[in-house]
Amino acid sequence: MTRSFIVSACVSDAGLAVPELARPVIAAAEAAGLDLLMLGRAGERPFDAQVLAAWAAPLTSRTAIVATVPASNAHPFHVARALSAIDFLAAGRTGWSVIAEGAEPAMPADMVRAARALWDGWGADTLVIDKDSGVYLNPDQVVRPNYRGPFFDTAGPVNAMRPLQGQPVLVLDGAASIGIDDADVVLVDGPGAPAGSARRLLKIAPGASVDAAALSAFFDAGEIDGVHFVLAEQAAALPAAIATIGALLVNRPGTPPPATGTLRERLGLALPSTASTQAKGARVPEYVA
Amino acid sequence: MSKQIHLWAFLQGIGFFPTGWRHPRARPEGVFSMEYYARVAKMAEDACFDAIVFGDQLQSRGAGGRTPGRLAMPTLDPVSLLMAMAAVTDRVGLVATVSTTYNTPEMLAERFAAMDRISGGRAGWNIVTTAHPDTAPNFGEAELPPKDQRYAHAVDVVAKACELWTAMDRAGPALPQGRPVLVQAGQSPEGRDFAARTAEAIFCPAANIDAGIDFRNDMRHRIATVGGNPDGVRVMPGLSCVLGGTEEEARGNHAAILDMGDVPLAIEYLSESLCCDLTAYDPAAAIPVDDILAKTLLPPADVAKSVRPAAETGTPLGEFAANFMRHPRGHNVFVGTGEQMAEMMIEWRDSGACDGFTLQPSYMPGGLQDFAEQVVPVLQKRGRLRTEYPGTTLRETLGLPARLRVAA
Repeated sequence: MTRSFIVSACVSDAGLAVPELARPVIAAAEAAGLDLLMLGRAGERPFDAQVLAAWAAPLTSRTAIVATVPASNAHPFHVARALSAIDFLAAGRTGWSVIAEGAEPAMPADMVRAARALWDGWGADTLVIDKDSGVYLNPDQVVRPNYRGPFFDTAGPVNAMRPLQGQPVLVLDGAASIGIDDADVVLVDGPGAPAGSARRLLKIAPGASVDAAALSAFFDAGEIDGVHFVLAEQAAALPAAIATIGALLVNRPGTPPPATGTLRERLGLALPSTASTQAKGARVPEYVA
Repeated sequence: MSKQIHLWAFLQGIGFFPTGWRHPRARPEGVFSMEYYARVAKMAEDACFDAIVFGDQLQSRGAGGRTPGRLAMPTLDPVSLLMAMAAVTDRVGLVATVSTTYNTPEMLAERFAAMDRISGGRAGWNIVTTAHPDTAPNFGEAELPPKDQRYAHAVDVVAKACELWTAMDRAGPALPQGRPVLVQAGQSPEGRDFAARTAEAIFCPAANIDAGIDFRNDMRHRIATVGGNPDGVRVMPGLSCVLGGTEEEARGNHAAILDMGDVPLAIEYLSESLCCDLTAYDPAAAIPVDDILAKTLLPPADVAKSVRPAAETGTPLGEFAANFMRHPRGHNVFVGTGEQMAEMMIEWRDSGACDGFTLQPSYMPGGLQDFAEQVVPVLQKRGRLRTEYPGTTLRETLGLPARLRVAA
């Protein structure tokens, strides 16, 4: 299996909600070829990362946006629908993360499981869209998951189709466990033995120096799959910081990731069998204007 | 100056006609593609529409648990679609339908604040209380709250959201419009009173000019009664159309769209409309009225009104369904030339039947393109439709104060 060194960054600044500030940040990430740009929560003045992720979809062609979802202020039916739409708009380059943010500690895991069940209510080949025969979809591939959890009950399925990637890439912070052990990407505090199939990204604190040779050695030893820069809070400073990260991207260890395709393809990540009853993402007939 | 016509583009899904997705110029695959949304957003902005509107539904598909196979109902999350469109446009407004019954004021306020900021002041909220009974199980509930409770709750949710927007605006970054434009579409007396107290723009079906005049007069009266300014509210009835170079060609085009339907599609459409799965019944047999009234999730008295007359004349189920599908949703459907359509729109506007129209293209994107090419230039030439936007925010586009800070 080919492995690519993954470069990710996280920003958490309410100022990002303003397009004059958000555009240069998105453009810098895209120009540098950043694999993931995670939009965090900004404390007292939260902004809605799902809105930003949808807005950023037409502004990116390589960088995937990871939307942080607070379990306390969302419902899995809405979250599943929004992320499904965003994943289509971003051509399969969507990730998500779930945090408690004041909610009961078990609520984020319930959110993840409910959203996964809603997405799995649709088979990969449900859509037919054949004008000649008049068949729009195959009803046999749509099932009602009837999810029941400690906080959320939702009959489903989501009324909007399975996401292009099947499920958006789930990114979780290893230091703030929410009780989900089959995330696609885990953010770790130090190199170590791999656990499961998740990609492990080493967190790098704001302003910390980067030892490219050491990172390369960790990668070759299989102790990390890449890095995750936690950037300073002021969004205006980000384009400069991302330019520094760009140097690492130019000389990244391992095989360069494919230039096109979904985020899962870029990361070489299949849907974990523990996370989904369906192995594949949605197949959609091609749109030709 | 002649009365200006406001135009909103209702772009959800595959267009107005259930058969429309099979039209040669329809692109139903586009609903899953950014390129398609960029194309139609620019089409609406180039034609100087006030806003793009997406409806929404929170029920899973399928009356009685069976998902229709021939009826195209792609209901992608409207907020996401509109925000992606915001990134590729500068002026057109973006109005999302969001439920007060299945969102908290905190969720709504945060979402619309983000929408208004990132779009530079172009966000609008079509406030709905959600009426489809199949919605409740998706939110862990057995059934919808009764209508009076839903409306009472909606009043509280909107008031709380307005408070939150005021606080968010002060904390910064500022909300470009102070708060999103509030839109409502209630038809019942409860809905109309709620709209009178809350809305800055109102959607409605109006099958003909007299229905439009009655509705607008009624709303203006209700608004004045609760101390509002009727001139500060835009009444925007739905309008679909099928155009042609001549009347005869337009009629041919209309017939062609309707004829793309078949009985199995019509029965699925009827099943969805009546909230009762009829796909297992023989289309050649009589309408199974008793079964329908026993199984429907809607109030049986309402359903009886639409099925009894046909059942009493012995119309078979398939024929009834096919006729039902030829007249979708009670909106005005104009069939004729672009010149004639512009004429009709001006007459409605000058008669006080509306402040403008919510265009429901017959199919997508061809129906929108036809309207933009054949009707928009005529309205512009007559001085009834702007040729450029007056400002940057949706409030300015609607001729309302550019920024509103205080709760209603």
